[in-house]
Amino acid sequence: MKTEADYYALFEAHRNGELPAQERADLERRLAADPDFAQQYADFTALTTTLHAYGQRLSTRRKLHAVQAAMDAEAAVELEGDTLETGVPTMPQVYISPIERKLREFWGAHRATMMVAASVAVMAVFTTLLGLEWWRAAQRPSLYGYTVLRREVERIKRNQRAMNKAIKQVDGAKPAVDLNPGKFSGTGFALTADGYLVTSYHVIQGADSLLIESRDRQRYRAETVFTDVARDLAILRIKDRKFSGFGRLPYSFKRGSADLGEKVYTLGYPREDLVFNDGSLSARSGFEGDTAFYQISSPVNPGNSGGPLLDERGNLIGIISGRQMDMQSAAFATKSSYLMRLVDSLSAAGPSQAYNVPRTNLLTGTSRPKQIRKLQDYVFVVKVYE
Amino acid sequence: MGKGVPSYTDEEFVAAIRRGDDRALAQLYRLHYPMISHYVLQNSGTDDEAKDVYQEGVMVFYEKVRDGSLELSCQIKTYLYAVCRRLWLKRLTEKTRFGGRLDDHEPFLETGAEADLAAAEERDQQFALMGEALDRIGEPCRSLLEGFYLLDKSMQQLTAEFGYTNPDNAKNQKYKCLVRLKKLFFSHYKEEESF
Repeated sequence: MKTEADYYALFEAHRNGELPAQERADLERRLAADPDFAQQYADFTALTTTLHAYGQRLSTRRKLHAVQAAMDAEAAVELEGDTLETGVPTMPQVYISPIERKLREFWGAHRATMMVAASVAVMAVFTTLLGLEWWRAAQRPSLYGYTVLRREVERIKRNQRAMNKAIKQVDGAKPAVDLNPGKFSGTGFALTADGYLVTSYHVIQGADSLLIESRDRQRYRAETVFTDVARDLAILRIKDRKFSGFGRLPYSFKRGSADLGEKVYTLGYPREDLVFNDGSLSARSGFEGDTAFYQISSPVNPGNSGGPLLDERGNLIGIISGRQMDMQSAAFATKSSYLMRLVDSLSAAGPSQAYNVPRTNLLTGTSRPKQIRKLQDYVFVVKVYE
Repeated sequence: MGKGVPSYTDEEFVAAIRRGDDRALAQLYRLHYPMISHYVLQNSGTDDEAKDVYQEGVMVFYEKVRDGSLELSCQIKTYLYAVCRRLWLKRLTEKTRFGGRLDDHEPFLETGAEADLAAAEERDQQFALMGEALDRIGEPCRSLLEGFYLLDKSMQQLTAEFGYTNPDNAKNQKYKCLVRLKKLFFSHYKEEESF
């Protein structure tokens, strides 16, 4: 009786085709006749093929590992600035440094998170800005439509620079000395002969330093003495040592109230030059019924703020403050009576601060051009540095 | 790839690999690795996972080619991509980290790769059982069978190595071992099948 192992020898020989024809015929006959024997043969075949396939699988795996190891080794050698294969057919390789590789990996891993974070940040910024703006608007609802008339120099300067450039290209002139023009500017005028000036509060609001410039380009440094926010008034004093006084002021300040319909005019510096505007006194109250102001029908512009408002006889009756956007030529000026009351109270506060406000008027009865010729030396540009 | 290695077309690759040309296999491996690596890295995988998946994918392809049963209806690249995509999907589900959508950057076609993978999986199980059976058969059967079937050593070599007096003894021993292996293998195999 043959053991199973003996049969296996037979099977193997048969599969390898090593059996003599006689034995082979015997075996095949027996396989056909005996199902159990056939099953044995099938098992043997399955076993050996699986074994062979398993062996091949292992050897293939070794090969692939070897290839991968070789690739890794190459990558390690080229670590200092290697090429990355992108897998994109049109651009199969790019040269990248190790740092960039790190960054790319980081970006690949955290891209989504970073994008969410960025959008949250952007939303937060805009919400904050809008919220702040809204809050600030809510804080001063009464100022809707009201525009203060201080001039933003930077914006104008930008336009002018473009113009200057064009001009320079045309005539090839030397560039003018670039003087710092300040951030804002307004107008101011003399209050007393010894160096006190009046302007609007909003002109000097937030100022670090003030510079007064007269029509003949004389410059003085000034300081704020007193401000009245509600009436938009500010009193300045020139603090330069070289300043020797304005001389006698030609105008006087009106303590009473001016009449409706009176012809008024103003001087100011909405540009680099002194500008005259005239109109009539159209109401004895200002924006939203504010009784500290007059309404006048005179065209005023940013930079006119703090300018003097005079009547036909040369009395100073107000200080230009602002205008209403949605109304045709509606400008507002602080009443001079409030200025006088302020000056009186300041004088009363201490004898050291004597305000010798002019009491006589040299302009009465003269023609308007003559008035202006006298007046123009007492109207100044107030430049504000923040 | 610019290293003086001959470049193959897809048909040449298949023919060369069928002949058992290891250089062609290595080159094929290098050629498509970046694509799979990129894909796996894009889809929350690591470098090592990419290598694993790619090796498995190439193995499926390789075995189909060696079988001669490969019916390639598309580029090798697309086939590999499909196989590796499927494998990676499976891994992700196993890791339960898969959130739903995969980022495809290659055209994903029906390549028959799915069916090939199912067959490959069955074979994997079979191989796992074989490995287990070989582990349990004990020495010297294990070394003998491994020597003959897995490492393709000749009977003479094995006779010398194991100190048998002649090749016939070794052969007899081998057949005995085969019978034991058969018992171990089929007992498990049948068990698995009956599930």
